[in-house]
Amino acid sequence: MNRWPIVRALVRKDLTLFFRNRFFAYITLLGLVFYIIIYFVMPKAVDETLELGVYSAALPEAVLELLDAEEVGYQVFESDDALRAAILDGDVPAGLVFPPDLMVQLRAGQKPRVDVYLAAGSPPEVRDVYVAVVKGMALALSGQPLNIEANEITLGPDMAGQQIAPRDRMRPLLAVIIIVMETMGLATLIAEEVQGGTLRALLITPMDVRDLFVGKGIMGVGMTFIQAVLVMGVTGGLCQSPVLMLVALLLGALMATSIGFLMASVSRDMMSSIGWGIVAMVVMSIPAFGVLFPGTVSTWGKALPSYYLIDTIHRVANFAAGWAEVWPNLLILAGINGLFLWIGVTALRRRFS
Amino acid sequence: MTQQAAIIAENLTYTYGALTAVDHINFTVDESEILGFLGPNGAGKTTTVKMLTGQLMPKGGRAQLLGLDIIRHTQAIQAQIGVCFETTNLYEQMTAIENLSLFAELFGIKGFDAHALLARVGLDGRGKDRVATYSKGMKQRLMVARALVNRPRILFLDEPTEGLDPVSAEAIRALILEEQQRGVTVFLTTHDMLEADRLCRRVAFINQGKIVALDTPHNLKQQYGQRRLKAQVALPDGGLETREITLDTPDTPSAVEALFSREQVVTVHSEEASLEDIFIQITGRGLV
Repeated sequence: MNRWPIVRALVRKDLTLFFRNRFFAYITLLGLVFYIIIYFVMPKAVDETLELGVYSAALPEAVLELLDAEEVGYQVFESDDALRAAILDGDVPAGLVFPPDLMVQLRAGQKPRVDVYLAAGSPPEVRDVYVAVVKGMALALSGQPLNIEANEITLGPDMAGQQIAPRDRMRPLLAVIIIVMETMGLATLIAEEVQGGTLRALLITPMDVRDLFVGKGIMGVGMTFIQAVLVMGVTGGLCQSPVLMLVALLLGALMATSIGFLMASVSRDMMSSIGWGIVAMVVMSIPAFGVLFPGTVSTWGKALPSYYLIDTIHRVANFAAGWAEVWPNLLILAGINGLFLWIGVTALRRRFS
Repeated sequence: MTQQAAIIAENLTYTYGALTAVDHINFTVDESEILGFLGPNGAGKTTTVKMLTGQLMPKGGRAQLLGLDIIRHTQAIQAQIGVCFETTNLYEQMTAIENLSLFAELFGIKGFDAHALLARVGLDGRGKDRVATYSKGMKQRLMVARALVNRPRILFLDEPTEGLDPVSAEAIRALILEEQQRGVTVFLTTHDMLEADRLCRRVAFINQGKIVALDTPHNLKQQYGQRRLKAQVALPDGGLETREITLDTPDTPSAVEALFSREQVVTVHSEEASLEDIFIQITGRGLV
């Protein structure tokens, strides 16, 4: 028997119900617009200029030449108090106060004291950078070479010179949000079908439970995939390796569907689906925040299924990674999807019976 | 087993854990017969319907619909039956036409005319309205219409008129009779005894999972019912009082004679036992 007309009727019915649920219809359409706006309002370039304020009762010309040479953006202040006030007001993030006899002390081989003012809340990395600037200047002005040999070793992928703009770091997060939103929509559709008893009516037709899962699967994967492709297309995520990115998004859409099945098996209505969806969104977004704010998520993030989707999107869209680099991610993602789908379908079957 | 039987149940049994919901029931329903399946809530009516319609797998016994085994030929049977559920389970955010058309597609019906079916249940003109805007009676009529989408040979109706206004209830009863005259077998689950008495050729009483009586309403009344004579007599103070005499007993003639000779009879009429009286007599409990 040709099952396609039955599946087609179920998909059409689900699409009708999805878009007649005002909450999900508006969220889907507004969400798409919102994601794209968010992307374009984020900075498109990384600002790598080091900004600071400088004060000295007798500021040597050599210091300013050094700052120019290092391409450090600086403002010279009239007084120590003016520099402090500018930092407190947030006009400059840091300040250096040199002693008036800086050059004399350096020539005499003494160790002059330079005060480094930093705004409260500056992260340790920023503090280290400014201290390093001062030390570098002292070295350059005194002319004394350091008696050590610096051997720089880069751990992990060398991203030097490949700083990613904040908007591009947003892409994986946008993908996760789309996936979770669709997960909630799909879970609501199924939960309301069970709760409202319409499923019973469907099951007394020539429709088979497998037709139902295929129909819901097509609906879930289709809705998620189309939205994700649209957002990635508009935000330039498909420019590097379009086929690879499409495969990643398709696996992401499959993940949304399988998690949707799982959520539907424990949800009673739209509110409980949204409740579970928020939990899923928080958990699945964690690896995306690791991309957005490097260093905030440690290796345990790899235990989250969304990591492999997020990492793939990030590396393909932002570092032009190819199949060779991301195939393990895709394989793990496919495995996780298979497992989730099996659990989701099994749990739902139990609920249907 | 006869060739004319549309439904045959043999020792059909279902248990929920330790509770036996349906306990080895046996019955047959002839083609184009309306069988009333009567019993109080929790008696096993809905579980029986669920087994016969393939929603539940029997834990024991067997059943055939249209000569097909309900376990081995579930899909073939479901293509030839229509089910109207006790509770409304329509897609409320879809229109009546969309609801009916969906089921027509699932049954693989080509050229389905939703408007004609809606006209039969008195909903023509409201087909493009969302079901959420319908009254309870309209929803129930749409439920019946949905059960008729595939022109079923057997119609299972679970409390189709419960809670409806008299007009809607009457419209549904008329439709049931219309379908029966068309040759459709109707399995009517209800605890409305008057409805069963009026529509059904035979009725089955189910109580605590067992069929305790199965016959025509007339035979059941003959077998279990007691006709009564009710008379109003005038009292010396001018008031009225009711006297009852059970008919069809050896003592009836003398009791009637005594009534008319000793009392001043004002009105008199005979009263037949209702199915509800018989149900109470057989099971010792009411229908609710």
